[in-house]
Amino acid sequence: MTCHPEAPALDPEAPIVLVGNPNVGKSALFGALTGRYVEVSNFPGTTVEVSAGRAGDIPILDTPGVNSLYPRSDDERVTRNILLARPPRAVVQVADARNLRRSLLLTLQLAEFDLPFILDLNMADEARAQGITVDTARLAQVLGASIVETVATRKQGVDALRARLEVAQPIGYRIHYDGAIEAALARLAVLLPSEPAGARAVALMILAGDADMLARYGGKHTPALQQIVAETAAGYSQPLNYVIAQQRSRCVDCLLGQVAHTSRRGGAAWAEQFGRLAVHPLWGWPILAAVLFGMYMFVGRLGAGVMVNWMEGVLFKQWLLPVATRLAGYIPVPLVVEALVGPYGVISMALSYGIAIVMPIVLTFFFAFSILEDSGYLPRLAVMLDRPFKAMGLNGKAVLPMVLGLGCDTMATLTTRILETRKERVMVTLLLALGVPCSAQLGVLLGMVALLPPSAIAVWGAVVVVTMFVVGWLAARLLPGQRADFILELPPIRMPQLGNIVIKTVARLEWYLKEVLPLFVLGTFILLALDKTGALNLLEQWAAPLVVNGLGLPPQTTGAFIIGFLRRDYGAAGLFTLARSGALDAGQLVVSLVVITLFVPCIANVMVIAKEHGWKTTAWVVAFIFPFAFGVGVVLNLALHALGITFA
Amino acid sequence: MICPLCGFEYDETALDCHAACPMAQGCAIVCCPNCGYQSVDESKSALAKLLRRLLKPAPPSASRSKNNEPS
Repeated sequence: MTCHPEAPALDPEAPIVLVGNPNVGKSALFGALTGRYVEVSNFPGTTVEVSAGRAGDIPILDTPGVNSLYPRSDDERVTRNILLARPPRAVVQVADARNLRRSLLLTLQLAEFDLPFILDLNMADEARAQGITVDTARLAQVLGASIVETVATRKQGVDALRARLEVAQPIGYRIHYDGAIEAALARLAVLLPSEPAGARAVALMILAGDADMLARYGGKHTPALQQIVAETAAGYSQPLNYVIAQQRSRCVDCLLGQVAHTSRRGGAAWAEQFGRLAVHPLWGWPILAAVLFGMYMFVGRLGAGVMVNWMEGVLFKQWLLPVATRLAGYIPVPLVVEALVGPYGVISMALSYGIAIVMPIVLTFFFAFSILEDSGYLPRLAVMLDRPFKAMGLNGKAVLPMVLGLGCDTMATLTTRILETRKERVMVTLLLALGVPCSAQLGVLLGMVALLPPSAIAVWGAVVVVTMFVVGWLAARLLPGQRADFILELPPIRMPQLGNIVIKTVARLEWYLKEVLPLFVLGTFILLALDKTGALNLLEQWAAPLVVNGLGLPPQTTGAFIIGFLRRDYGAAGLFTLARSGALDAGQLVVSLVVITLFVPCIANVMVIAKEHGWKTTAWVVAFIFPFAFGVGVVLNLALHALGITFA
Repeated sequence: MICPLCGFEYDETALDCHAACPMAQGCAIVCCPNCGYQSVDESKSALAKLLRRLLKPAPPSASRSKNNEPS
């Protein structure tokens, strides 16, 4: 604990600043305090909105929701700058009483700013309803801060908060970091200007590598400050910002242990334990393997096996196609008949692939994926994936688009904007396009994998993972930029509701079919046109050295690869059909699966890459990916033959 | 809507991300403003709406009036 500095003379226009994590009811409290006289404007030099209003004579600012005052986004930078720009009358931190840990991480950062402070525990009623008890008196005593409980949406506790605004005091609690960091802070303090408030916060931010703070406060001492930071960092194996965040996090856990109690039923305790194990560095992997195996059984056996057998073998081949063929017989133009029910017909190929083969597979996959989402396991999967990405040496910020790519590569390509340099953005876009299958494509690939024996599945998985790892590792060497941490709040593990899962699955399926069926029809028309003009035969002959000799595949797989240019899963569906008809053996299926997995995801992805990076870069990305995908397939085929590996 | 990845609660009808997206026409994907995770907008799915109506329990007043009908 430290003594409070003497308060400076009160500026009548000094505002009350509302600070808090996103979605804690800050705007509701702002509305309750200010009424409807609100002015919303962009913070100078940014597009971040800051709301201003008055509670009587006192100005109030509502800052953007933040998870940290060590900025990783414009919102966080704006909030931090507001706190440093002009000493506020008081800072009111709005905290979600249901998620006290997240709020206290911010509280302890605010403590370092040494500003008059009130902690508002909002949504106190919901916390109690969830069995969460916060010993407010004890928390106020340990923190050395004024605390008020509110339910802002019902304006409960708002008067009590208003009454305490004038007597707010800085937080008494101080984190004592380890010796090396405290020593570094003392050395930095000597060189930094003595701000009226926030000197310790500024020193910590500089130590954590904040270039803005160094530029703003370093002045002629900048080289000396950098020297102190470098010397301190040399004593740790982890980056300093990580070390500081870890030590702060331990303090929060210690505080929580003293003041918060959750009464849980047996199920909730079990869920919490499972949630912890799911991200455990050791136990997280068997859990991940079990989840993937469960999905493989559900999607591969039920979706790609039982359901596809019935949809394709019974519904389409025995019922729909004979009827369609008979009806098409009444059409006098042979080309139209062929376009409907011929080998490259809309009904016999596009709809057959889209509805009889792909739909059952993606239906089961979307169902399983929705369970992962609603159970709270998905963010834990992202945490587990963060580790191999870190092992590759990729910039931590790159992890998010890669994880998002498992949802939709096209949209994930848009999120590469969060990366700082163009080089990083292009490289992550390339990795996304190369090897991260979107949810629908993952489903189809999983369905195809079900046709393979376990040893062949292992070869496919190993080749794809190693390829991604090598490309990622090379990317990291080419892009040595600063590593950023991947920070994700983990929601609790919960029991998914069947009704929600079914509705979500149906909505996804509808979206998917609307998006892919037109492309499937287009791909079929292209194949029909190529076939009718003789170009398909020519292409098969031209591609023979690559497809037949290089990849060891039958010539008719050329058609599957051609439609794979439109959508990876359409090509996969073509290969799936060939494999089910016996045209591909297990070894050939593994090779073709590897090639199609490494294809560009879809034509929409190409368009978004062009939108984000221009056609020249897109041409380079595409020109790299397709030869690379075929190249890996050729190497795998040659290796399988050279080593005499066959799959029973 | 609650983001399945980060748990952030947001109003999907208030998003303006589509303005930046070349695939915006008829797009049924919504992106979480906190983490960027993409979900399908169930309000744009006719099948989901239909299913929701079917799964929705009958309003209590309706069931009461049924029960009150003379047998």
